[in-house]
Amino acid sequence: MSMYNYVFRRVGFMAVTLFFVTLIAFAVTNILPGDVALLILGPNATEQSLEALQTQLGLNRPLYVQYIDWVVGLLQGNMGESLRFGEPVAQLIAERLPRSMMLAVAATLVAVVLSVPLGVYAAVNQNEAPDVSASMFAFVGISMPIFLWGLVFILVFAVWLNLFPTGGYVSPSEDLVGSLTRLVLPAGAMGFALTAYIMRMTRSSMLEVLSEEYINLARAKGMSQRVIVLRHALKNAIIPVITVIAFQFSYAFGGVVVLEEVFFWPGIGRLTLTAIQSRDIPLIQGCILVVALIYMFSNFAADLLYAYFDPRIRYGGDD
Amino acid sequence: MSAPTTATDAEADDGPLLDVRGLRTEFRTEGGPIVASNEVSFSLDRGETMGLVGESGAGKSVTARSLMRLIDSPGEITGGQVVFNGEDLLQKTEAEMRDIRGNRIAMIPQDPMSSLNPVMTVGEQITETIRRHQVVSKSEARRLAIESMDDVGIPDAEERIDDYPHEFSGGMRQRVLVAIGFSCEPDLIIADEPTTALDVTTQAKILDLLNEMQEREGTAVLMITHNLGVVAQTCDHVGVMYAGNLVETAELGDLFDRPRHPYTRALIDSIPEVDTDYDELPTLDGAMPDLGNLPSGCNFAPRCPHATEACRTGGDPSLDAVGDDSSRAACLHAADLDLSESTVPEAGTGRRDIDRSGQPLFEVRNLKKYFNAGEGVFGNVHLSWEGGGLPTVERRHVKAVDDVSFDVYPGETVGLVGESGCGKSTVARTALRLLEPTDGEVYFEGQPLHELGSSEIRSLRREMQMIFQDPQSSLNPRKTVGQIVGRAMEKHGIATGEEKRERVGGLLERVGLSRAAASKYPHEFSGGQQQRVAIAHALAVEPKLIVCDEPVSALDVSVQAQILNLLNEIQEDENISFLFISHNIGVIRHICDRVAVMYLGKIAEFGSIEQVFSPPFHPYTESLLSAVPHANPDRETDRILLEGSVPSPINPPSGCPFQTRCPKKIGDVCEQDLPELEAVDGGDHYISCHLSEEEMSQRDSFITPSKRAETSPADSD
Repeated sequence: MSMYNYVFRRVGFMAVTLFFVTLIAFAVTNILPGDVALLILGPNATEQSLEALQTQLGLNRPLYVQYIDWVVGLLQGNMGESLRFGEPVAQLIAERLPRSMMLAVAATLVAVVLSVPLGVYAAVNQNEAPDVSASMFAFVGISMPIFLWGLVFILVFAVWLNLFPTGGYVSPSEDLVGSLTRLVLPAGAMGFALTAYIMRMTRSSMLEVLSEEYINLARAKGMSQRVIVLRHALKNAIIPVITVIAFQFSYAFGGVVVLEEVFFWPGIGRLTLTAIQSRDIPLIQGCILVVALIYMFSNFAADLLYAYFDPRIRYGGDD
Repeated sequence: MSAPTTATDAEADDGPLLDVRGLRTEFRTEGGPIVASNEVSFSLDRGETMGLVGESGAGKSVTARSLMRLIDSPGEITGGQVVFNGEDLLQKTEAEMRDIRGNRIAMIPQDPMSSLNPVMTVGEQITETIRRHQVVSKSEARRLAIESMDDVGIPDAEERIDDYPHEFSGGMRQRVLVAIGFSCEPDLIIADEPTTALDVTTQAKILDLLNEMQEREGTAVLMITHNLGVVAQTCDHVGVMYAGNLVETAELGDLFDRPRHPYTRALIDSIPEVDTDYDELPTLDGAMPDLGNLPSGCNFAPRCPHATEACRTGGDPSLDAVGDDSSRAACLHAADLDLSESTVPEAGTGRRDIDRSGQPLFEVRNLKKYFNAGEGVFGNVHLSWEGGGLPTVERRHVKAVDDVSFDVYPGETVGLVGESGCGKSTVARTALRLLEPTDGEVYFEGQPLHELGSSEIRSLRREMQMIFQDPQSSLNPRKTVGQIVGRAMEKHGIATGEEKRERVGGLLERVGLSRAAASKYPHEFSGGQQQRVAIAHALAVEPKLIVCDEPVSALDVSVQAQILNLLNEIQEDENISFLFISHNIGVIRHICDRVAVMYLGKIAEFGSIEQVFSPPFHPYTESLLSAVPHANPDRETDRILLEGSVPSPINPPSGCPFQTRCPKKIGDVCEQDLPELEAVDGGDHYISCHLSEEEMSQRDSFITPSKRAETSPADSD
């Protein structure tokens, strides 16, 4: 009952957020400078043909009509047609979404696998050598932009050690091994860069939990350090870390356009870049919408995970 | 269930269960080592209960944790022996210690809210202890856990074992902690302030439970507490700590009949007793010294009324046997001082006469404050899925204050007393319009506060000041005390420049600080001194009413007495009115002229102290007063233990709010009709109850009429 309430409330918020996202996406693309018809027809187009095209695209109708039209289309699953590619936006996105998803999931996995144990280890050995070196490691990761890490990874693992290809994308259904070997470097570079934040969060969250009264009691019950850290502390400490992980995931998804460029990874990031460069308004709108949706859903997933880890939310307790 | 070794059991038959010799625990700090537990020696027999009492910082918790070797860096046990069952625990390896913790020596911690892991079921938390120390199967451990939950009086243990801690009330959580403590049938339980975080009616039940469990299992208990009432009720044998030292040990009766250390005497005397009238509480000057900066000579000498030159210059006195009873005391003059008489003065002429013929200064009429249940925009929206089909949406409220009326006359102190969550603080905040009332009227000198705009309210704030429980968080840490007090005067145009400085100095002296205090920052003061600053700040604008929200709850008893005396003195001089909020019945009894007893957002009883503490009683008042532990081992009160816990204010009971727990419930009428707050015996004593006056008068007064305070006034928190 309470869990229903919880989900109901979250979904309500998402619907409201989504409404604002469509408004912003629509507004932003319409303020962008540059006449679409002019862009399509080139500088030599006549006044008449420009006008004809604008009418055909519906660009000379009032903005609110265009907005309502767009939203109604969205609700029917129609995101419009790309001006640049001449294909339905939905289809373009559907093709690239899984690729970006694959990269983002792999990068987040790398980051979590590296950072959570490291953060726990650092917290348990607070202010001692392991803590300092773990923090240093994480700090190095965050100290350079992601695309630079991409280049460093290519240089070290592809060019010098010749372990992995320098880039490109192969569908896993065609060639699973080839696909995975191409995934390692971009996912590793991105994951490494994401490590720092999650690790710092894990560390400080663990430190806070380790000073809780129930940890004291666990020690007074004769529990070993291992049980205390893994059973009593981590399950509590991970709760705030989940938000950070969800945030980093959506960042990995939409934010690292450049990394896809560096590794020739034909995902949503590169599509967005192309769309912006060619003033492809329906495509830009579609990309913004999809990235916003990813943000919203990963946060929604984080909230559900919260509920999984924290029984106080699961059962609607409020203290 | 078996002890790990039989050899130790045999050995232990000759000696005490626990023999602590010269235990010393230090903490490394930048300013050098601090000795938190200094050469502490005592012993404890099987099945015996020893109390370790003292104010905060006395070293009682550190001593207790040292026994289990649970001292974290930068702390370290640097000397002594802890002989338990014939073996020195300080010589054991960490792995051996882990086998003892939770098994032979178990701990019951202070705070039931934070001592259970929120993400583990209570069952997991009990069974893991059992499985850690005993070779039993999972299902057997679960059976034992259910049994131990039964033993500590948790109803429906079998269904509740898979519940999480937040699904239990505070008292029930404390029962879970007791169950964990006793789950491996230890020889020794260390109970660290096991009832301090609980309300007084819950405390009474937990203390009973502890006594009962101990008798059944034959366990020895080391009871750490600051509450002498708890000691008197539970212990055989007491140790008093002060500034890291054990300053007196004695059997319970000897300690209360004839304390041998002046600190023990002062500790007993400074607690306001529920059944005694005082004009002024006897106090000690100052506060416990900082452990990093101890005086030369006896640590207590600077505060001791009997200190001589020898006390101030000699070494720290050792704990030696005194007289022919069980007492040992660390005092040079223990043998020649007779401390058997209380220093509590003859009770005064009684209470002030308050003139209630004119207009009340402050008047609250039918005040209501409802909060939305839950947080955020949709926070109070709840879907009901009952009845199938589409869910229905309802909005829920917490009725924190529900139809409360009272008045305060000039120069009067009116108390609001009740257990946590009864709405007493919300009443004060809503009445002052720090919170917007949902409904109701509030008048200050006849002006309708509830109708005033925010700028008019602001100018009236000068007349109505507030003092909070935690002075540290209510004083701006970046301003000097002089600036804090002076700014209030400037803001309300009372004084500026030289005149302001002069007035600030005078006020600081008035509240017992020096003029030089003006240039210091709040953190340079102790808790009691900070509260004095907060009082000076409130007085700076010459208010007519001061609302005191638990102003002494965070203070040690000896400091609490100083502040209470100060408030009384100020009231006499300035004719200020106080609205005084407290859960501490002894404090309320001491400082208030009239008192409102609150339960679940409503007033259950309202009248003068004499009226409320004497029959007829509202059944809730009666059980509340009866539950206060007296710091007099000879005194037995016929206590009324309430069933269950306070219902949720989101979904309060129908009819009378107290009907679900009332020991005197009549029947349907209590469930259906909300009783009016009606005048009883004469006119200005109000009780909200369906019982007849006679039925509410079956118990004697809690007030012993004006007579000399007996040797041991009681604590009551």
